[in-house]
Amino acid sequence: MKSKIIVNFIFFVTALMMYLGCTQNPKWTYVRAINFEKVTPLGIVKDGNLLWVSDSDNNEVIKTDLNGNIIETHKDFERPMHIVMDNGKLFIPEYSADTITIMTGNKRSHLALKNKLDAPAGIDVKGDAYAIADFYNHRIVYHANGEDLTFGKKGKVNGAFHYPTDIQFANNMIYIADAYNNRIQVFDEKGKFKQSIGNEDGMNAATGIYVNDQFIFVTDFENSRVLIYDLAGQLLQILDNQLDKPTDVILDDDKIYVTNYKGKSISVFEYKK
Amino acid sequence: MKNIIFVFSFFAIMTLVYTPTFAQKTTYDKVEVQVDGLGCPFCAYGLEKKFKELKGIKKVRIDMETGLMQFNYPSGKMIDVETIENQVDKAGYTPVTTRITRNSGEVVTSERVEEIHEAVVLENVEATSFKVRGNCSMCKARIEKAATSLAGVGTAVWEAETQLIQLEYDPELIDLSDIHKAIAKAGHDTKKANAPDEVYDNLPPCCLYQRN
Repeated sequence: MKSKIIVNFIFFVTALMMYLGCTQNPKWTYVRAINFEKVTPLGIVKDGNLLWVSDSDNNEVIKTDLNGNIIETHKDFERPMHIVMDNGKLFIPEYSADTITIMTGNKRSHLALKNKLDAPAGIDVKGDAYAIADFYNHRIVYHANGEDLTFGKKGKVNGAFHYPTDIQFANNMIYIADAYNNRIQVFDEKGKFKQSIGNEDGMNAATGIYVNDQFIFVTDFENSRVLIYDLAGQLLQILDNQLDKPTDVILDDDKIYVTNYKGKSISVFEYKK
Repeated sequence: MKNIIFVFSFFAIMTLVYTPTFAQKTTYDKVEVQVDGLGCPFCAYGLEKKFKELKGIKKVRIDMETGLMQFNYPSGKMIDVETIENQVDKAGYTPVTTRITRNSGEVVTSERVEEIHEAVVLENVEATSFKVRGNCSMCKARIEKAATSLAGVGTAVWEAETQLIQLEYDPELIDLSDIHKAIAKAGHDTKKANAPDEVYDNLPPCCLYQRN
């Protein structure tokens, strides 16, 4: 009798440990929200302990602390989208003006472009190189080593786009949120197609992307989710709580910040080791 | 001296002739369109952007919170409700009400059209449901409007999660296959009717559902 109880107890403990082991597998957990009253956040970038956020509905770019206290408001943009910061300069794609505005302090200038854009939705900058998600032209406008080129055209096959919305240089590659093909596409730095990720994961508008040397994060707008992949394209985790029509995501110091376009907030998730 | 007076007089007359007070000043009608189903900023700003390309149009603005689209249009062109709503439809959006305030103060609205439609009485109501392909809140507005615009259809509610439309209609006034066809014509495949490719291709980006 006694031994039966002991065996059952060991079985129960083992089962419990296995269950906990499984539930611990997803590493990113929701921590808190940064709420806004009037800001509709679309794009986001970290600047020290502060955040820059593009508010496309109100044609503004704001600087906020991590509690949602707005420190600076910069007005009169024409639908600012996915922003990026490089070397103290904020690069702001203006969707309605077909320009990339560079903001340094309060000074503004425009990025000189050889190719005409139609609704730039995202940009990334690395040294002298830049790459722009050219939404209505279904292509990437790319400048590197003094040369200008474009790659991609409208379509569903590998290397083609259906409204690209966000872009990032990482791991000597270019990662692109191919929004309405519901996938991520990876190209080398010559613009040659390398990999397609997320095709089978039921995304409905892949709107924002962030990549580091371990993970790929993508916002799944209509489904209010963030999908997390490893660099090989293996789906690791799906975040689907406390999100409301997310448009952009960034990683900083083991935390991810996700803009909730409809929720007027930023959701913060933390990596539990 | 005579030459100086001549030159001065010449320029004075030319200035008077070409002064802006003689030029006709453009006046504008103010247009407000309540649009249903706005949800995706990329598409909504796209609509705003495409409208900005229309000749003569000024101050185009979409408020995502309220779904109100506003713009000014040259009074001389006497734009009407039908033209505006066709343009909004063409851009993939679903107009609910339209109001034009002419420069003269006259107000034209789309309400009269709605009253006529509401006057149809359904006597033999049947409920049914079937699958309609779509993605988002803009799809929902378009699908439901395509159905309820038909004489003989009472209510229509479509949900993205189930891909089902729930309908109340009068089979003596309209055949179910005609409802399928009307929804397909608006860009959405149903079990019995497929949207024309050119209509599907012109849907806003977020409405481009995966076709079988």
